[in-house]
Amino acid sequence: MVDLKELQDKAKEVISRDDVRRLIGWQRGTYGFESAPIVVTDASDADKLIFDPTCVQNPASFITLEEKRPVPRGQEPDTRKVAVMVKGCDSRAIVQQLVEKAYPRENVIVMGMPCRGVIDRRKAAALFGDVTPDEVKLDGDKVVVSLNSETKELARGDILADKCMRCRYPNPLVSDELMTEEVEKWGADEFADVDEFEKMSPADKWKFWEEQFSKCIRCYSCRNVCPMCYCVECVVAKLKPQWTRRSTDISENAAYHVQRAWHLSGRCIECMECQRVCPVDIPIMTLNRKMTRDVKEMFDYEPGVDVEAEPLLACYNPQDPEDYIM
Amino acid sequence: MSEEFEPNIVAFLCNWCSYAGADLAGTSRTQYLPNIKIIRVMCSGRVNPLFLLNALQQGADGVLISGCHPGDCHYLEGNFYARRRFMLMHKLLEHVGVDPGRVNMSWVSASEGVKFKDVIEEVVTSVKEAGPMDQFRRRQLNW
Repeated sequence: MVDLKELQDKAKEVISRDDVRRLIGWQRGTYGFESAPIVVTDASDADKLIFDPTCVQNPASFITLEEKRPVPRGQEPDTRKVAVMVKGCDSRAIVQQLVEKAYPRENVIVMGMPCRGVIDRRKAAALFGDVTPDEVKLDGDKVVVSLNSETKELARGDILADKCMRCRYPNPLVSDELMTEEVEKWGADEFADVDEFEKMSPADKWKFWEEQFSKCIRCYSCRNVCPMCYCVECVVAKLKPQWTRRSTDISENAAYHVQRAWHLSGRCIECMECQRVCPVDIPIMTLNRKMTRDVKEMFDYEPGVDVEAEPLLACYNPQDPEDYIM
Repeated sequence: MSEEFEPNIVAFLCNWCSYAGADLAGTSRTQYLPNIKIIRVMCSGRVNPLFLLNALQQGADGVLISGCHPGDCHYLEGNFYARRRFMLMHKLLEHVGVDPGRVNMSWVSASEGVKFKDVIEEVVTSVKEAGPMDQFRRRQLNW
């Protein structure tokens, strides 16, 4: 279990350093089973930091959001570091950003938070309704939820996110310092959900996706929250040439989602933020997981694991599979 | 009496091999099916998978990407990158429910005029089997 006092003291120490500009972490959310991200710039704010199973957001998304404005002549650019608290899955985002050379390694201080699972807000809402719990914690194999001075014990699979039930990297893969001791791995990922989906006929698949894509309102939340979607100008926002029109009909929606999944193939690190934030509950990860599985099968490549790796689509192997090519 | 479905196929041919192969098919009077609309690109590695999506949106029933044989690329490695890309795109479209016969890729060299004709025949047959593409087609022209 994380000692919050120790965590906040550590954060205070980091943010007080001269070469650190800000620290990104989690604070208590205002409602429901989710925390809120916080950017700490002053040591006095460090007391707001928390870490518990409600810390579902991926703080790695915020590192690349910063605008790099040109500095007026005579002034030095601010080169101070950004400290970021990451869970195991979030650390893969950082690894992948480093692989793509999004920023130099020395610009970030990674504070690793070994994690034993986070809560899926949809599962929680189905169990408890629209309430805000007093406290949520993990106790051995149980999730203990305190609500209106009552406590309720739940099995992990009932309330934890799907990604946590098949988590292979609970411990950060890259970190400057671990805030707690490492936790044991428990999950294995057999891609059973992808296999299940693949059994459908093409017509059924399209029927399923047509229904899902029709719901899309193109708010681009999935893109905005994604730690890997950090292009300065996104291809769907481009007007010349305009690849996807802005209308929300099935053709444009399908093209948008295929584009999105395609741009994340070999890059998606499965933090499942896209699916979490989707306001119309589109199972976006079904596309991404398919790509992850295929990339692993065909090219024996796993994104966000090795900082030294080359990006998948920026390299090739003469022995790559080509079974459908005439 | 309904007419037989004649598919509309967009072919992205690389300048150095496949386009020359198509040219050879033409100059040696090899008849190939007229369903394809050729777009010449400098290399198969130039073809962005968004071209493919856009072609399907704008009314193509199938797409063919053709380049030099692996190892023969004029730019040494463009077709290796293209191969990876379209392998993934092919799988992704299949997952979304697009008939896999609509997305085709082939290696045709400048001397393979006859192979070019065979490839076109094969592509046309597989797209005919898949039928008209109306999943992705833009339905409203003004947005």
